[in-house]
Amino acid sequence: MKDLKYLAWFENLLQEANNELVAAAREQGKKCVSYICENSPEPLLNLDGCFSVRLRAPRTGSMEMATYYMTSFLCEYSRALLERAIEGGYNFSDCLIAPDGCSMINRCAENMELLHAMEKGKEHFFYEHMEIPMKADDNGLNLYVLQCKNHILTPLKENFGIDISDAAIRRAVAEHNRVCELIRAIGEFRKGDRPTITGYEYSVITMATYAAPKAMLIEKLEETLEELRTREPDAKNAFRVRVALVGSEIDDPDFIKLVEDTGAFVCVDRYCYGSFPGRDPIHLTDEEDALTQICRQYMVRGQCPRYMNTAKLLERRSYVDELAKEYAADGILYEQVKFCDPWAYDRMLGSHIMRNEYGYPVLSIDRPYAVSGIGQLRTRIQAFIESVEIKKIHGGSR
Amino acid sequence: MMTLIKKLLSFLLKLVLIAVAGTALLFVVYFFNLDMKLTAAMEPLLTWFYDNKVKRDQHL
Amino acid sequence: MKDENRIGTQNLGSLYTNGRVRSRREWRGIVDTAYDFSRWLHNWITMFRVVLVKPRNIKAMFRYRWMASYLAVPMMIDRHTQGLRNEHLRICHEEQDLIVEDVAKLLDKLFRGDRRIGNDREFSSKVVLVDENEMQSVMMGFPTVVPLSREIASTYIPVLLNQRAALHYIDVAQEYGLAGDVCPMPEAEAGVSIDDDAPVLGCCAVQCNTTCDGSLMGNSVISKRLELEDGIPVFQLATPLRHREDDVQEYAAQEIRNAIAFIEEHTGEKWDWTHYFECAKRVNYATKCRLEWLEINRTDYPQVFGSNLALYTETNYMAISGRLKVFEDADRKITALAEKAFKKKRMAANEYRHRAIIWGVQSHYYMDFLVWLLNCWGIVPLTDMLSMVNTRMIAETDTPENREQAIYDIAWLTENMIMRNRTHGGYKVLLDELWEFVEEFNADMVILWEHMSCKALDGMHGMFEEKAREKGIHLVWVSHDLFDPRVISRQGVRDQINSYMRTVMNEEPVDPSLEILNDVESW
Repeated sequence: MKDLKYLAWFENLLQEANNELVAAAREQGKKCVSYICENSPEPLLNLDGCFSVRLRAPRTGSMEMATYYMTSFLCEYSRALLERAIEGGYNFSDCLIAPDGCSMINRCAENMELLHAMEKGKEHFFYEHMEIPMKADDNGLNLYVLQCKNHILTPLKENFGIDISDAAIRRAVAEHNRVCELIRAIGEFRKGDRPTITGYEYSVITMATYAAPKAMLIEKLEETLEELRTREPDAKNAFRVRVALVGSEIDDPDFIKLVEDTGAFVCVDRYCYGSFPGRDPIHLTDEEDALTQICRQYMVRGQCPRYMNTAKLLERRSYVDELAKEYAADGILYEQVKFCDPWAYDRMLGSHIMRNEYGYPVLSIDRPYAVSGIGQLRTRIQAFIESVEIKKIHGGSR
Repeated sequence: MMTLIKKLLSFLLKLVLIAVAGTALLFVVYFFNLDMKLTAAMEPLLTWFYDNKVKRDQHL
Repeated sequence: MKDENRIGTQNLGSLYTNGRVRSRREWRGIVDTAYDFSRWLHNWITMFRVVLVKPRNIKAMFRYRWMASYLAVPMMIDRHTQGLRNEHLRICHEEQDLIVEDVAKLLDKLFRGDRRIGNDREFSSKVVLVDENEMQSVMMGFPTVVPLSREIASTYIPVLLNQRAALHYIDVAQEYGLAGDVCPMPEAEAGVSIDDDAPVLGCCAVQCNTTCDGSLMGNSVISKRLELEDGIPVFQLATPLRHREDDVQEYAAQEIRNAIAFIEEHTGEKWDWTHYFECAKRVNYATKCRLEWLEINRTDYPQVFGSNLALYTETNYMAISGRLKVFEDADRKITALAEKAFKKKRMAANEYRHRAIIWGVQSHYYMDFLVWLLNCWGIVPLTDMLSMVNTRMIAETDTPENREQAIYDIAWLTENMIMRNRTHGGYKVLLDELWEFVEEFNADMVILWEHMSCKALDGMHGMFEEKAREKGIHLVWVSHDLFDPRVISRQGVRDQINSYMRTVMNEEPVDPSLEILNDVESW
């Protein structure tokens, strides 16, 4: 297929955490709100005068310093972030919002705080550690709203003078929704027998919306959408099977590339930093304050395995099934970053349930944070693709 | 009457001797750890039983 | 500091063999040996009376793999009484014998209600299954409801008894795809569930996210079977992680209200405030006693320390939570013994060389390590992280205001469950407060259990080192994998201390016979 006009531009934004748009937004006087967990409601971090950046550590090499502080038993994502912070790679941040979503991310943020890794020369830098619900119920909602008020909105107002009114929140939601609608629309081109966007391309574009100020992406997202409407697919489909990629955080599109290089088309991105559910628009009504509605929707649609009630446990499986059906996935690839406790369990459960109860072929893997060129992974995925292909030839993959 | 008392005393003496012998035996078991040596010998038999004779519905 | 009047076995290592059990029991002088013998008899009679005399419990013995570990009960007591005399021996027995009886009753009740064994449906209809990793404070107001923990019976106690008790279940969980780096405690519990080796009983269950992520997630494996297959409804009690913050307390309290409502709905029983406040008084009494023991431990003659403090606190604080008067009586007796021993300036070992705070998560397969520290190197384990729990007195008088306060108290206790009150709640409770305790207890050493799968603890590794360096405190790391001695054996654990004491402290052991022990095969 002809290269997408702005793919290289989007790719470039992912080469550094402090990319050109982050730098430009800061030059405009906006405050950079860094965050590290999908349970932080994004619109609240993108009010007028600030923009959010979900921290990642592109091109991570050694993690020796972080490993000294956190040992080699903590997930590589958390260590990569700490390493980058110690190196000064996040000095563009004006604050860090860190839900206590899992122990590893919590310790990562606390080490950053104790080492003063990000606040050099900044008078009003703050770290906020939030409690977030573990069940999607009324009590959880009340907690979420209170925590967002106390640990996101109030500090933003007190430290940076950010307008945290309901109207301001609704404006942020409108901008957030515009990006979500564009991402969803772009994602539709993954459907059909001859998709006109690859999973890799889609992951790059989606990732950019987490890693850069959203407002500055809208124009190029719109142009990309228009381009896709007329993009011609390859004459012959390069992919042999379609897979739904499910699991823990992936912030390196090279992993998607690795999967697709083996012949599998990643048609669904149900992972942390993916578009499901992170790029679902938020629907607001006038009957209730925006903050409560945002929290409710984040809570209800949240796919983080820390949501521990049985209903959520079951819903995580049915959600994957819905997405797999909608995008015609032949199989499911469950993945987790090495040493992630929540996803270790959810991957085990999810793999078994999707295979034995829903009838999908499933490959279950754990992977390092930096994945480019991992031969073993490639081999395992290739073997999985062949088995799914054989099943398809013999009359159905499920 | 004296015979009865003698019989009673004889009985009590036997009881005391049994109790002392029993306590001494139990003390031997205690001090030389014979109870644990016995149960340690039972463990492999139980393990074999669990591995071979117990039907389980193993699944997630 | 030396005890020149000590009677009894000097070379404790000579009792070890290369097999499961010791060659013989310890000679402690006539009086203490006779006492220990009488308690040994008592415990066997208890086990027979409560468990072994009932045919259904024998049936259970042949059904559940973990029951084999209970063959080692007397040996566990021997391990924890090693080297003890006088009041220290009596304190240990006061605690351990009570725990033996309590656990025997737990087993008996589990099998009574178990659908596979006793199948007593009427009894089972009053049973609420609770997590091992859960404060049973939420049961304080239910006098007729029977809270039972399957995990305590199947994994927690067995690993204390037998270092290899959990290995089969860990392997089962890993065969089903669970990564090997997760904490082996929830992993083993999940393995028991997968292996169909858990009793099935109860009208409902209350799971909790304490201790940690692993525990929260392991519960999902268990609840899948419990709720969706066994038909036992499960309530997940969500306890805030940031437990020191004011803005989470209402959430925590509401969770308690919801849990109580759930139990009432499924058991048909109503919350009893009179009973609750009776239990609350006992909780406060236990807190008072524990604080007194810790006060004594700050002096040169600590009395209730090591595993005497740790194991008992875990049981009384978490699992009993004021519900049983017999533990209040035990608290009273232990305090009396401690005060008596303190007046006489009794020592629990031949020599005291160092005063240590034991921090981190204990190696469960080697809990008697604390006794070994004392006997081998003269390191006195003054207190440990799991014993530094709630110090707040809760409301104990029945008034309308106190009824409202009680919900917050139960929530507070639940949040401050052992271990997690330190591993969660921010770095202050884990890192900063350790150094405060070092000062309070006049400790010259910190023995830091590094449970390698405990991400919450490992995540502060570097900060612990930096602080120790800054304060000039000897920080000795002792790595282990909680339930899995294959990763680091008991000798591996000892060697970490041995190396430090020889190379850094330039010391020779108090009892050299304990330095190297071939106990790989031992229970």
